[in-house]
Amino acid sequence: MKKFLSLLLALTLALSLAACGGGNGGSDAGSTPPPADSGSSGDTQTPPPAEDVTITVAALASGYEEAYPGMWQEVCDAFTAETGIKVNLICDKNLEDVIGPSMQGGDFPDVIHLATGREKGLTEQFIKDRNIAELTDVLSMIVPGESVKVSDKIVGGFTDTSVTNPYGDGVTYLAPMFYSPCGLFYNAGLFEEKGWSVPTTWDEMWELGDKAHAEDPNMYLFTYPTTGYFDAFLYALMYSVGGADFFNNATTYAEGIWDTPEAQQCFDIIAKLASYTNPVTPAQANDQDFTQNQQLVLDNKALFMPNGTWIVGEMAEAPRADGFRWGMTALPAAEAGGNGASYCWLEQAWIPAAAPNLDAAKQFVAFLYSDAACAIFAKGGAVQPVPGLTDNLEGDNKMFYSIYDNGADAAMGNFAAYNAVAGLGTVREVFLDPVNGLVNGSISVDQWIGDVKSASDEMRANIMG
Amino acid sequence: MRSSKSRGRFLALCLAPAVILYFIFMILPTFNVFRMSLFERGAYSPTETFVGMANFQALMKDVKFITAMQNTILLIVTVTIITFFFAIVFAAILTREKIRGQNFFRIIFYIPNILSVVVIAGIFSAIYKPENGMLNSILSFFKGETVMVLWKDQPMVIVSVIIAMVWQAIGYYMVMYMASMSAVPESLYESAGLDGAGRLTQFFQLTLPLIWTNIRTTLTFFIISTINMAFLFVKAMVAKGMADVGLSFMYAQKDAGLYGYSMAAGVVIFLFSFLLSALVNWVTKREVLEM
Repeated sequence: MKKFLSLLLALTLALSLAACGGGNGGSDAGSTPPPADSGSSGDTQTPPPAEDVTITVAALASGYEEAYPGMWQEVCDAFTAETGIKVNLICDKNLEDVIGPSMQGGDFPDVIHLATGREKGLTEQFIKDRNIAELTDVLSMIVPGESVKVSDKIVGGFTDTSVTNPYGDGVTYLAPMFYSPCGLFYNAGLFEEKGWSVPTTWDEMWELGDKAHAEDPNMYLFTYPTTGYFDAFLYALMYSVGGADFFNNATTYAEGIWDTPEAQQCFDIIAKLASYTNPVTPAQANDQDFTQNQQLVLDNKALFMPNGTWIVGEMAEAPRADGFRWGMTALPAAEAGGNGASYCWLEQAWIPAAAPNLDAAKQFVAFLYSDAACAIFAKGGAVQPVPGLTDNLEGDNKMFYSIYDNGADAAMGNFAAYNAVAGLGTVREVFLDPVNGLVNGSISVDQWIGDVKSASDEMRANIMG
Repeated sequence: MRSSKSRGRFLALCLAPAVILYFIFMILPTFNVFRMSLFERGAYSPTETFVGMANFQALMKDVKFITAMQNTILLIVTVTIITFFFAIVFAAILTREKIRGQNFFRIIFYIPNILSVVVIAGIFSAIYKPENGMLNSILSFFKGETVMVLWKDQPMVIVSVIIAMVWQAIGYYMVMYMASMSAVPESLYESAGLDGAGRLTQFFQLTLPLIWTNIRTTLTFFIISTINMAFLFVKAMVAKGMADVGLSFMYAQKDAGLYGYSMAAGVVIFLFSFLLSALVNWVTKREVLEM
């Protein structure tokens, strides 16, 4: 009996150790090349480079992957067929939690597709640590399987902003991938039914808010899913109020920028908007309930919300008011005759500096811009900044992506990276999260502006580049 | 002599797996936390710089950290008091009184404990929903007009978290106390009854002192687990920045790229929970009564 017990104990111990080791062992086991797909792709007239290289690609499974499951796998398979380099794909909704722990142990994927602006801020951390490989030579590479340079397949301007060149030195570190115009989403059917026109200035906006609220006390002008959605809103607002100069100065924390009349106008608009926001919004502005805030627009309890084009798919199953139809507009102009603005949200793909297969990783990034890859991504509704891609869009997406053709300025770029300092919050904590407090009244406008100013000063002192 | 030696060897062999595992997975990481709190580095960065006590100095001046610790303490105190009060009262009622369907109630009270926090967050999301939520609908029914309490917004947010945490914890502790209460011999109650002691006197003079060791142990457990549970509930239920607790502050700093700073927060929380349980242990010390 004793013997049996000790045997059992030893067995459990061995098992638990094996389970613990599994995390590391798994990636090794995973990287043993699966029987290559080259058989199915038939006659491989591809050059035989890099025979036994297997790269690990980590991609966020976002709404696009949901709309077309297997999208990333298909791209990886196409890459393998083209170059012979095998790909071990990690695709997950919570990518940070999947690749984070092994990266802390020093085991990095070769290519990561994960945008900035997510709550876990993984990409931002790599930027702050200068832990990302340069992509300059990728831009001058030939796209695998084609005869065009990568830089020629990217629409001009997309590799010039702080989204891809985080240190402001003109060097590209992050490849511009899927982009999507962000704006204010509303019920186009309701506007038609009531005979309202979409406001083009903020004054018209307030007027509409008063009118709607007077007509139906349950109808408010505004809501937002969570404060995180204010980033695109804030960028577009700064752009529409102060133009490119103000936008660039503000996002690089220029001295005294928050004392300018433009900044004051931005603060005023947000503060006023807070008073026009459906009061239940902050109570639902968390990861658990944010869809209920989005539901407010579907139920005609809020007219506008800031969001991205994925909202259509996200709320596809949700009940809605009769005659509901999605509409999207740019942010209204600061004054009559001015231009509205819409923030262009851009996801990035990048290579960690410690990637084990740097060359193969660069080939993969280059391949992402091939016609084959673009076509696969397009099936999921993902649009890359490659010339001609938007011509083939259909339905709601066609309307969304035409926002810039209709006179709205495109705002692109984000707050400059700064060295993390203890006690100084993130951009989201400083600029966006206080909006909840403005709506529920737990923080005063002056206090908020004061916090922004002092944080901005400290960010400027620690700016990278 | 020989037998005691081989016995010792056998014992050492039996203990070795647990000790080794405990050392590798508990002691080493804990020391590592202390070490890393003296450095500054990003979570994924290969380089680190020694900064001495600078992280702790910054921590003491960080308003967000102080607020987070205040919230933690508030949650520990209120949730502990309310949970223990109800757990003991319910346990006393279910063991001492003759109620129909005792087992049914025991199961009902226990169920929340086996649910994951995510499920609980989902349930309370429906309860706290501002429009047509369960709680607001009940309140509206009794008040006769539409009540619109924003449960997950300031200033009610902390109350909402407390309610959910108490709901989750009561059952488990109730079952624990029921077990120790049913171990109290019936004859004691009978003789107390003959001496003229009422139900309440019996509860305070007999039941409570006799299960005191049990209460004391569970109290320490509960306080330590509340530090962790508060984080899970706040993270799953409410918006960031609404009711942050110590551990949410710690994770937020890690995500902001301040790994050393977050470890410093971890050290402070570790010491805090250590001292708190020592304090509770000391305060609740009584002479042990034997049955």
